[in-house]
Amino acid sequence: MPKSLTLIWQLLRKHISIFELAIFFIANLIGMTVILSGVQIYSDLKPILTGENSLIGNDYIVITHAVERVGINTEVFSKEDIEALRQLEPVNNVGSFSASKFEVDGSIMFNGRRLSTMLFFESVPDEFIDVETRSWGYNSGDTTIPIILPRNYLNLYNFGFSSTQNLPQITEDIIKSVSLGLRLSGNGITDDYTGRIVGFSDRINTILVPNDFLSWANKRYADINDQDPTRLILEVSNPSEPELITFFEENNYEIENKPSESSKALFILKVCVAIIIAIGVIFCILSIIILTLSIYLLLQKNVNKLENLVLIGYTPRRVATPYKVMTLVLNLSILAISLVLIYIAKEHYMTYLSEIAGRTLTSSPTTAILTGIIFTTIIIAFNFFIINRKIREISRKR
Amino acid sequence: MNKIQLHNVVPEIFAQREDIRSDVWHNDFCFEQGKSYLIKAASGTGKSSLCSYLYGQRGDYRGVISFDGEDIATYNTNRWCEIRQKHISVLFQDLKLFGELTALENIEIKNNITHHKSLKDIELLFEELGISDKIHSRIDRMSFGQQQRVAFIRSLCQPHDFILLDEPISHLDDHNSDVMRDILLREVRSSGASIIATSIGKHMNIDYDVCLNL
Repeated sequence: MPKSLTLIWQLLRKHISIFELAIFFIANLIGMTVILSGVQIYSDLKPILTGENSLIGNDYIVITHAVERVGINTEVFSKEDIEALRQLEPVNNVGSFSASKFEVDGSIMFNGRRLSTMLFFESVPDEFIDVETRSWGYNSGDTTIPIILPRNYLNLYNFGFSSTQNLPQITEDIIKSVSLGLRLSGNGITDDYTGRIVGFSDRINTILVPNDFLSWANKRYADINDQDPTRLILEVSNPSEPELITFFEENNYEIENKPSESSKALFILKVCVAIIIAIGVIFCILSIIILTLSIYLLLQKNVNKLENLVLIGYTPRRVATPYKVMTLVLNLSILAISLVLIYIAKEHYMTYLSEIAGRTLTSSPTTAILTGIIFTTIIIAFNFFIINRKIREISRKR
Repeated sequence: MNKIQLHNVVPEIFAQREDIRSDVWHNDFCFEQGKSYLIKAASGTGKSSLCSYLYGQRGDYRGVISFDGEDIATYNTNRWCEIRQKHISVLFQDLKLFGELTALENIEIKNNITHHKSLKDIELLFEELGISDKIHSRIDRMSFGQQQRVAFIRSLCQPHDFILLDEPISHLDDHNSDVMRDILLREVRSSGASIIATSIGKHMNIDYDVCLNL
């Protein structure tokens, strides 16, 4: 510190009450920490809320016409039905299920024996698929077809079948390494393909192949170009929306995968996050008020000294410098400490969140750091404004 | 800065009074650089008000005060800061020293912005004024007479065209008063500055060019 500043500091710090400073330091620290943790929690939860495999946020439901009599349910959704669904406020996207209209015979080699079974395929547009894989897709001429199975199937085998039949349990990786022999026939043509399971879906309860492949195959083996779907998948913001339920009842649609209670619980969680952020903002505003009052009080207590300094030739700017340095140091240390606190907290809750989500979640502190810097800058700018205004007022001729 | 002119100036609180007989109030008067002035006044005649008008501390007067023809009512804070650093030096009646700082620190806090005197010069002044043993004492532990001498040293720590001394020797004995006068005259001789001193009775023994009754 320059010598002239040291002396002014020595002079002006006399009235600084450690108690007051501590109060505003703590209040500001709490405010900053709450608001930044709100932001951090939000940015950490956001991928779980809205991203792939989302726990809350957009939900996917599958609807069909209600089965009214025993037999084959042939009722399809027309283009108008789909359009009407699209118009609904809670519906973000509608996708059609297509089904294979040809014969599929699947086989695997198991313990030296060939096991074979009749199969069927369905497909939905790619954006409805909750499995991230690069191997999804089909180009004509490919002899390998990617397949997505419902995770339920694997669970059913592992926890229901294999344990009672003394068979080994199998992991996802083992299944993914197995290749499946596929024989497709229809329209007088028979072809052999290799099927490869590329992932497991929690969302869609069927054997999925790429949309492109199915429409090509339906054309080749069944001579069918377009078919009206019997099942639809909807992306909705909230499956419990009354508008949606009423509409389904009126049209006699049935939800195949009823939204679980968890979606309601998780909606509450979303509200809680909003409340945390709101509390953070209130805290922050309060702490800014406390800080401003403290500075004001401090300046007021030193009013005589400040006046005398200006009278012996100090410029208002020079007199303001120690106060500005003080607010700068305080606010920057508050920012630093609260970021450290959030980092520590994050480490703990991310482990917990990962357990809930059932996968490793990544967390980036960038948003919290940026928000912290923006808030601190605003607070510092506001403090400087208060200091300048008060000192100008003191320096002015009476 | 060469001239301080007063044109029909009167403190606002005296504005309604008609019984004012003064060489300064309601008059045209000019303080010129290089001359020495003594303003004699009874208590309550606005002596300290005049000093604070000339120093830009207060503005509650009627009439016009101008420095080299510029109306000082138009000056902003920064202009006043420049004047307080380079053109007008003041020994305030209430000294305006900082009680929690030592005598030397009180000088340094001024000298740090003007860099006008060396530490050696300052120490010599303390010695001449007989307070060198107090140089590191806190101001609030010193007598008013001692403080007056510290404030006097501080007023010399800047370049100036006018030095304003508001009752500079009110608490000094004759010997110390003479020492202060000698230092003042020596400084003024080298800087060519003008002395404007006020007094309610006791005043420095100087051959003033002009004596005014406020």
